[in-house]
Amino acid sequence: MKKNFSIFLPFLLFIGIISCKTEDSVFEQTSNERINASLAEYQKQLVGAEYGWKGAIYPGTGSVYSFYFKFNDQNRVIMYSDFDKETAVTAKESSYLVKALQSPSLIFDTYSYLHLLADPEGSVNGGVYGEGLISDFEFSFGADTLNNGTLTLTGTKNKTRLVLTKASQEESVAYGNGGLAKSLLFSNIDLYPIYFKRVTIGGVTYEINVNTTARTVTLSWLEGTTAKSFTTEYYYSSTGVAFITPFVNGGLTLNSLTNLTWDASKLSLGFTAGTANVTVVGAAKPLIVDVAAPKRFRQFVIDKGSYWISETGFTVSGKEDYFGITKIPDFYYMLFFPDIASSQGTTYDAFTAYDQTNLMGPAVVPSYTSDGRIIFSILGTYGTNTLMNTTVAEQIEDASGYYLVQTSPIRYDMVSAKDAKTWISWWYPF
Amino acid sequence: MKKRFIFFNCFAVLGFALVLQSCKEEDLGDVETISGLNRPAPVQTSIDKWIADSLTTPYNIAVNYKWDQFEFTDISKTLVPPKEEMVIPFSQVVRRAWIAPYVEQAGIVFFNKYSPKLFVLSGSAQYQYQSKVLGQAEGGRKIIVFDINNFKVKGMNGYVPSDSVVVKEGIRTLQHEFGHILHQNIMYPVEFKRVSEGLFQGVNWLNLSDAEALADGFVTPYASSKYDDDFVETIAILLTEGKDGYTRLVNSVQEGASLNGTSKADAQAKLRRKEALVVNYFKTAWGVDFYSLQAKCRAEFVKLI
Repeated sequence: MKKNFSIFLPFLLFIGIISCKTEDSVFEQTSNERINASLAEYQKQLVGAEYGWKGAIYPGTGSVYSFYFKFNDQNRVIMYSDFDKETAVTAKESSYLVKALQSPSLIFDTYSYLHLLADPEGSVNGGVYGEGLISDFEFSFGADTLNNGTLTLTGTKNKTRLVLTKASQEESVAYGNGGLAKSLLFSNIDLYPIYFKRVTIGGVTYEINVNTTARTVTLSWLEGTTAKSFTTEYYYSSTGVAFITPFVNGGLTLNSLTNLTWDASKLSLGFTAGTANVTVVGAAKPLIVDVAAPKRFRQFVIDKGSYWISETGFTVSGKEDYFGITKIPDFYYMLFFPDIASSQGTTYDAFTAYDQTNLMGPAVVPSYTSDGRIIFSILGTYGTNTLMNTTVAEQIEDASGYYLVQTSPIRYDMVSAKDAKTWISWWYPF
Repeated sequence: MKKRFIFFNCFAVLGFALVLQSCKEEDLGDVETISGLNRPAPVQTSIDKWIADSLTTPYNIAVNYKWDQFEFTDISKTLVPPKEEMVIPFSQVVRRAWIAPYVEQAGIVFFNKYSPKLFVLSGSAQYQYQSKVLGQAEGGRKIIVFDINNFKVKGMNGYVPSDSVVVKEGIRTLQHEFGHILHQNIMYPVEFKRVSEGLFQGVNWLNLSDAEALADGFVTPYASSKYDDDFVETIAILLTEGKDGYTRLVNSVQEGASLNGTSKADAQAKLRRKEALVVNYFKTAWGVDFYSLQAKCRAEFVKLI
């Protein structure tokens, strides 16, 4: 033990000596000069990209948003964004600053399209009040990102990733000509009057399911009799819809869908997938029926002693809240509460509207078919709301029943099996 | 035991060295090496020039509208910078509805001496529980104004009459924060604290409606949170509502007793007593004719809605 300390002693002495000595830097320049040089270098990179930068940002609530940035040497930046149809076509100028915080940082220091994602006002971006989409507008430069055409930045507050890639002349022109807006036509897939949609690419028929809010696209297909499925996040680029994860099936690889077209009279979406020009067509039935889904849907909330909610009610032929249930006074949400109670030995479900005090609408008894549908028969009604107890009740007890499509761990769509033109989206927010 | 002894010796030597160093006279050295100096300043915009000409030169007031996280007290909050097109309209309102009446009434020396020297603007409100924070004053020097992006005055694109609420809240925030600065320099008389003794709500003010607060003799729910805020809310309401508006407010106290047992007559007496104390405070502490100031503030405010 004693020996150990005799080893440490000289070290301590050594440290003591060093701290007394005037410091000689191993660098030729002062830290200040080096920081300034580094900032100038980043600034030069940003401004030097002749055709601007393409940006992809990954906010904390998920999904990806794309941007186009053109920086000048006057601390000004011009932007386009795929945030919505307006930001896609209207160039917006705002201020930016390259500054040393803990590390060299890029700050978008007045409001721009980038701030739409970070805005804590929920009405701006659909996020939670006080948080927004958990995004950033102040970023630090990654250490190794100079000179390879890509800049990877990390948000200082929420660690949002922002990847900047130099745009080509062609892309720059496309952004200026509303290329983003053309790509955003893809979101019109929400306007289809029918729930199930299919495309045929290279002889294979795919069911295509798009969540334009979460920005995910799911392709389902049959390989022989085996059901296959692929889901990726996407964003809009100047030329089309870019997949975060490329889709690969045999000889087909898709990084993006391009040449988006929308026929407003026929409500028909077309695009180029690889080399094939395809059109999205409606279908009355799912390509692959998830036979176990109806039971799984009910059991999920039964296990939790809870219920599913829908804020918008039934969509019919693409029209949200077709029956107008959200106009019921003090409407809170619609709910589906399985096994809510029993009457004379029959356990029933509530399929009703709710105003924070009363349930309004039918009490139903479910039955399952072997081909994966759920059918409701009405046992009785809650309250005296005429809309819920007549028009909506008739829809609920439609004899064809419903398919259930699981779209996320906590979301299901209930689709009328009659013609797939009526559906209601359920989610479990609790 | 011996081990520890050696250790102590080592520390003693180090300690001695430290003492020696700290006694040494220090040379400032090469200031060029201080980090953060000699950075190129951002290019001035027309907004920067407007602020310099209209606020900084005459009143020594700076307006930081570009994002700087560390100007905001609570860095855990999510905020965004203001929209550029909102900066000048908002600053104009600051000048017309707050600076001009004070300068006219109390003189530029008074105003420039006590006015906060820095405005920091946030585009969004600061969300706190279920409420929005609209303003914050710091040490008499800085006022943070939130929610600039939703600010609208008459004549601005998209202004509708109901936006007058937003204008009123914005100006009230300024008057409120300046009120804090005034009492942080010269404290208001202790009588003011006694007027509503026992009725203060603390953080529970959030659960009060306007009518409930008024029934206890508070001009707003927030006034019931603590003494200082009662004082400055009273100032702010008096200045934005005007003399007649305040009378209307006093007359609108609900019939019957409040939840805390304050009678209508008592609540009204409290409101009038607070008014009198504020008027008296401005006279004795600052030599300012409050009613004249009130008339000027109200007149400017009316022009904005």
